[in-house]
Amino acid sequence: MKKKRSHKRKHSSEVHLGFQIAPMIDVVFVILLFFIVQAGDIQVENSHVTQLPGRVESAEPVELPDEVSIVVEDDGQVYLNEEPMDEPASKNLPQLASTLNGLREAADATKTKVLVTIYANELARYERVVDVLDALTRAQINNVTFQAGAPE
Amino acid sequence: MIDVLLVLLVFFVMITSAEVLKVDKNLTLPVSPNAKKREPEMAKHEMAVNLRYDASTNKGVLVMDDRVYTDWQEVVPILSESKKRDPKLRIVVRGDAAVPAGEIQRAMNLIGEAGIADIAFASSNK
Repeated sequence: MKKKRSHKRKHSSEVHLGFQIAPMIDVVFVILLFFIVQAGDIQVENSHVTQLPGRVESAEPVELPDEVSIVVEDDGQVYLNEEPMDEPASKNLPQLASTLNGLREAADATKTKVLVTIYANELARYERVVDVLDALTRAQINNVTFQAGAPE
Repeated sequence: MIDVLLVLLVFFVMITSAEVLKVDKNLTLPVSPNAKKREPEMAKHEMAVNLRYDASTNKGVLVMDDRVYTDWQEVVPILSESKKRDPKLRIVVRGDAAVPAGEIQRAMNLIGEAGIADIAFASSNK
């Protein structure tokens, strides 16, 4: 015995074809969650801005302030005016930053500027140089140059 | 409700896409929490020079605009040409954390040869 099913179906004109908001909210919510999770571990790219030495001509004579030298050795040891600063493993370089901060404050008091030159050894890691730049930024020293390396 | 969700969605899309674009997956930038944020007004004057690290030779691999340069001197005319076009040009040196500092100095020499003095060292915040 066959049942007639046609009578159970709604007539096509009775089907409601309006915009379905509930599934859309679901989808938007999932996309939103995806972006919230993504936003959590964004790496923001920052930068240390400096000037290269010796290439810019100045119209006025420039009075050169006292120079402070920072040497970065191959093993990561940092020297400030030949004085060893912090351990090679110390990433934050607190001793260097506080000494530089003192220098900067003394220079501010006498209305001069601190000029820092970084001498990085050939095989020192670049990361260590950036650590030094970071310490200089903390000490609010902006006049930083690099040793002009001899071209190979 | 849906309005608020859409606004939130647009907000998160904006912040993720704006920051992720520039990160080159082939190099790990050194971490520097105190580095300054990029100046938005300088953004269009910036040009990136990437230095990937090659562990087998302990040297850097210079990449500019997705092109690997084996002869680094080739970069100098390109840089000086860009400098002529845009006098306010700033070169962003994006060096891998493990690259030897000597390689960075070689790159700086090239930038100096091209007559550009304004440079920046890229680093990541974490």
